[in-house]
Amino acid sequence: MDHKDLTKKEPRAESTRNVPQVTPLVDIYENDDAILVHAEMPGVTKDDISVNIDNGSLTLTGVRSVVRGGASEWEEFGDVEFQRAFSVPQTIVVDKVSAEFKNGVLALHLPKSEAAKPKQIAIKAG
Amino acid sequence: MFTRVSDLDRMFDAMGLLRSRFDNLFSEFDQTAGYEPRWSGRGNYPRTNLYEKGDQFELVAEVPGLSKDDLDVKIQGNYLEISGKRQVTAPAGYRSHRVERGSATFTRSLTLPAEVDSDKVSATLKDGILVLTMPKSEAAKPRQISIK
Repeated sequence: MDHKDLTKKEPRAESTRNVPQVTPLVDIYENDDAILVHAEMPGVTKDDISVNIDNGSLTLTGVRSVVRGGASEWEEFGDVEFQRAFSVPQTIVVDKVSAEFKNGVLALHLPKSEAAKPKQIAIKAG
Repeated sequence: MFTRVSDLDRMFDAMGLLRSRFDNLFSEFDQTAGYEPRWSGRGNYPRTNLYEKGDQFELVAEVPGLSKDDLDVKIQGNYLEISGKRQVTAPAGYRSHRVERGSATFTRSLTLPAEVDSDKVSATLKDGILVLTMPKSEAAKPRQISIK
């Protein structure tokens, strides 16, 4: 038998991630002009959040690494990956979507296109 | 059957994978359950971590959406109480489609492993995480024992 076989490492069939994925809690609001999405991601920094809109699907991702130090007496939360996906209507103007992150809450503003806004039809006197 | 050691190796890898999944089973179960709405009187909101760093304790709590005016922290000896009020209201002119976060008032009291000096406690709030740094009281501090 070839000795090389003893040390050679085959790539694993599947690599597991030890960071658990959780679903952030969200609030969704709508009016005639826009849709708002507020998602809770405590402990995530602004740079670790990604917001993607692709082909009518909106994906929010945020990775949190808890700052540890010293001996742990108890730990009720740890490193997680917040992830949630929504389908958004085609009437959203993707270029004008804005996002803000404050106090651990991500606020998305998704404006609707002019064509999608409700219009009042004036009735002419006959 | 197994002609190469690497075949065996791969089989053990697969077994190790299975074992690590079982190892994580309980913690994962706990993690996801913790992210269900947890307001309803379970008494564990906000969730906290406590670390001991030599002569001080550091308490970290998850408080998303709260500003510093919404939070109240009381310390006496080794008793710590975190209370607060969260108001989530629909922005003016918007209808709510989905409300998972909700408004609530909460109080959580914790017993620290040792007494802390309440005058020297400092608190910071950043990205929805509250960090309390609590120096231990003189009596609880570790002491160097000199050997004669």
